[in-house]
Amino acid sequence: MFRLSLKMTLARKGRLILTSLAIILGTSFLSGTYIFSDTLNKTFERLFSDVFRDVDAYVRSSSFVEVDFGGEQRSSTPIEALETVLAVPGVKDAVGDIQGFARIIGKDGTPLGADNGPPTFGGIAASNIVGLWNIEEGRLAVGPTEVVLDKASAENGDFVLGDKVRVNAQSGSREFTLVGIANYGDVSSPGGATFALFDQPTASEFLLKPGLVDAFLIQGDGSLSDEELANAVDKALDPADKLETLTGAEITEETQGQIQTVLNFLTTFLKVFSYIALGIGCFVIYNVFSITAAQRLRENALMRAIGASKRQVATALLVEATIVGVLGSLMGFVAGIGISRGLSALLKAFGAELPTKGLTIQTSAFVTTMIVGVLVTIFSAVFPALRAGRVLPLAALRDTALETIGSNVKRFVIAFIILALGIVAIMAAANDAPLGVLGLGVLFVFTAVLIMGPGISRPVALTLGQPIRKIRGVTGGMARQNAARNPKRTARTAAPVLIGVALVTAFASFASSFKSEIRDTIGSQFKGDFAISVSNNGFGGLPITLVDEIGALPEVAQATGLGFATITLDGKGRFVQVINPKTTAGLIDLEMVSGSQSALSANGILVSDTRAIAKDWSIGTPLDIVLVDGTTKTVTIEGTFVASGFTGSYVINRDLFADTTNTLFDNSIYVTLKPGVSADVARAKIEALSSEKGLGKVESRAEFIDAQSSQIDQFFGIIYGLLFLSIIIAIVGIVITLLLSVFERRREIGLLRAVGMTRGQAWESVTWESVITSFIGAVTGIVLGIVMGAVLITVLSTNGISTFRLPVGTTIFILIMAFIVGVIAAVYPAWRATRTDIISAIATN
Amino acid sequence: MTNPSAAVATTVSKIYGSGDSEVRALDDVSVQFEKGKFTAIMGPSGSGKSTLMHCMAGLDALTSGNVSVGGTELAGLSDKALTGLRREQIGFIFQAFNLIPTLDAEENILLPLSLGGQKGDAAWIDQVIDTIGLRDRLDHRPSELSGGQQQRVAVARALASKPAIIFADEPTGNLDSKTGGEVLSFMRRAVTDLGQTIVMVTHDAVAASYADRIVFLKDGKIAGEMTEPTPDRVLDYLKHLGE
Repeated sequence: MFRLSLKMTLARKGRLILTSLAIILGTSFLSGTYIFSDTLNKTFERLFSDVFRDVDAYVRSSSFVEVDFGGEQRSSTPIEALETVLAVPGVKDAVGDIQGFARIIGKDGTPLGADNGPPTFGGIAASNIVGLWNIEEGRLAVGPTEVVLDKASAENGDFVLGDKVRVNAQSGSREFTLVGIANYGDVSSPGGATFALFDQPTASEFLLKPGLVDAFLIQGDGSLSDEELANAVDKALDPADKLETLTGAEITEETQGQIQTVLNFLTTFLKVFSYIALGIGCFVIYNVFSITAAQRLRENALMRAIGASKRQVATALLVEATIVGVLGSLMGFVAGIGISRGLSALLKAFGAELPTKGLTIQTSAFVTTMIVGVLVTIFSAVFPALRAGRVLPLAALRDTALETIGSNVKRFVIAFIILALGIVAIMAAANDAPLGVLGLGVLFVFTAVLIMGPGISRPVALTLGQPIRKIRGVTGGMARQNAARNPKRTARTAAPVLIGVALVTAFASFASSFKSEIRDTIGSQFKGDFAISVSNNGFGGLPITLVDEIGALPEVAQATGLGFATITLDGKGRFVQVINPKTTAGLIDLEMVSGSQSALSANGILVSDTRAIAKDWSIGTPLDIVLVDGTTKTVTIEGTFVASGFTGSYVINRDLFADTTNTLFDNSIYVTLKPGVSADVARAKIEALSSEKGLGKVESRAEFIDAQSSQIDQFFGIIYGLLFLSIIIAIVGIVITLLLSVFERRREIGLLRAVGMTRGQAWESVTWESVITSFIGAVTGIVLGIVMGAVLITVLSTNGISTFRLPVGTTIFILIMAFIVGVIAAVYPAWRATRTDIISAIATN
Repeated sequence: MTNPSAAVATTVSKIYGSGDSEVRALDDVSVQFEKGKFTAIMGPSGSGKSTLMHCMAGLDALTSGNVSVGGTELAGLSDKALTGLRREQIGFIFQAFNLIPTLDAEENILLPLSLGGQKGDAAWIDQVIDTIGLRDRLDHRPSELSGGQQQRVAVARALASKPAIIFADEPTGNLDSKTGGEVLSFMRRAVTDLGQTIVMVTHDAVAASYADRIVFLKDGKIAGEMTEPTPDRVLDYLKHLGE
């Protein structure tokens, strides 16, 4: 039986190719994601084992604040302690290390490195061999006016030794002389990051605070093991400095672990979308097996008639599924290598450049792809196989394969039960059940709609096809009837479109609601004329001296800076907004519920009203906080403001950091002009101080609001990009169904051609059928997506978005796309329809 | 008086394959079908009767020779022109699967006209529908009609555009003799009462006896003719033809 199935499978190459195509597409994204993740992980793993290759021990502050996504903000280390370390027996050499924020400004005045791209670092290049940097050209920087650049930055910025290089960092914007070009380990620019390197005193003063570094890198003389060395160093350190010592292996592992956490977040995100694509591929595979099983009614009936058991007939189809699954997954895996490159390009296109060196193909990626691909294929084939087995030996020989449709009543009852469960789950999530419950609810609603599909696809097809029949007459009418004649098949074909469109629409609802919320909030909170802002993923920012320089301009009435800091508050690391209350009046309006924004004292804090209510806090409540450098303080709540998701939940005074070693940046500066001043003149002066030195971007109020709200587009752009593959799978699904339908209606098409249908009309008819099918998916998907979007926004309204906005633009775009998709998907099937041989089609036998 | 021809085939040949495997489906056949007459084409399996019909209807290309339908020469016509000709000048009735399952009876009858974007002659169509006696079934789908009713709808469709000629390929092959007889009588009436021209391919002597004239084919050649046939005469002739 197996050999027979194998032979029968291979005998039908067309069907084999079509089914494989669906599997290839589904699995290629999966394998692409795995290969991409593995490559990314390997690249970083190698990088950091390289970096700490010569480091035997590592000293750093034991005080830190942990933030989300595995990150941490660690306090600094006093450089005096280096003397102590160098005196420890067994230590051959030790240097200070800094990884601070510094932006190298190109010769044309624009900063090197992309906004929201890889980090831009400032650091120390020391002469000692333990240092991370190897000078390739020139020499090390000595004194406050010299800088060394990493090789990639020097090349990108077209800098040669002796050039003046402007660098912006915490202490402001300065010019240095380029005296050397260095490599990091063996690479010219680790991970696409940029590096400006100084001697230790300059780096401390410019990037951090005088006398401080981030850590010490220590090399032993070989007399002690790394553990013994670390222990010896640790014992020698002054406990009052709150320092800790790690071995080289430990710091390597820890750094790799931190990177891993960040990368895992990204790769999990990608994997979610690859499984969505696979799920959509599932529908296509299921559809192909269902249609071919129905078309093979005759063949199966014959097999049963000559003595094959139900089991054998079902097994034959499953054997075919396994063969196709193995072949498809194998090809999908290979295609995934290309997809992994595509993912890099996609992320790069949206400004998230990640370094991937070479290509890491691990056995696990291959095994996962194969197992998932084959299982999914077999799973998709089980029901059609069972149905094929149930065929009666004397089944009626029909010209077209008609699939029976089960009772709609039963279908709707089941769908409504699942829908009800979904609604209950979503309601529960609205009442503070965990987010997983919300996900389950969404899944249930999707399932309910998909189960309902075959029951509603016929009326929906007829309704959507009505205008086409009106406009295009008999060809449109036939297309409409063809789209409606096999409700199950149509529903299964439209399902991938539905899922893809529903997700896009739901995300678009989110995006448009987010955007309008941002506009409203910024519009009401920011009242100034100009804003200067940076976008570098929260690393670094504008030197806090800039706001004073701008404030001192004769045209400027007032300028205020807004930054953020990480502190431990209420037992957790949190981002807090940092303001200068003396200058915010009239520029930033927090919409205070109680207390006063401008009266915020150095030891006061403002909290959002929702947080205050949730925690039962009120004015006068003392809160214990820990700063990054380990300073503990008690701050008092001095007011509450309307929570808005964009100002966050906490606001503190920048004076709180006055006596600490914390680094502090402004993320944006807001400016009002004096009355009667020319905006153009003022803008030019502000730009001379800021953007012309590579410090931020100057925008008018309207430009700023536009730019802030359009940042959302970037994030959603990636999501749409990832959903694109799902859309391609959906198109392929339509192509396959149409091809099978055209083949199955050969006689009908032949008859139509005989009685006078032109090739053009045959083409048109198939195209309209395709467009109607595509529209069924798009329209139901849009409805589902908008409903889901509205529900989710309502459920999540406590998290900052409160008003639902209809994504009108996206909806229109999707409808136009659905039309185009329908037309494109029909090209090949329609061409095949026009090539139908009339005589063989109408021949009686 | 001889009626002018609705369709003429002049020295037509249709050859499949080449060399040793060459098959002459039609071998230098010349025949004409008069207007307002019911002609049957008979012959054993493989005699070329279906091929002749397909070639005369513009469904199949000739190897040599020429065919004209309603005064139009088929040679050199594009696919589009041939399609238009079939829609307007030729009616078809096949043995089975004559109707589009997604269209109701009336839509099936009007199909060639709708494909051409025409409404047709309403009075004529009314007359045709009345003649086939299916006015109360016009909104039924083919699956809701009996085999005989389906064939009558097919005949009505063939007539609807008042074509120059109607080709019927074993139109009663799938019907029992009583229902088949009804359909044949109706075709006969279409010729006698409505003045239409029908060419029918059949191997059934009884069916052929409804025709005014029978053309016999054998091995791709005209083997003989008979006018005013009766079933017995036809059977006799076929017997003689088989020897």
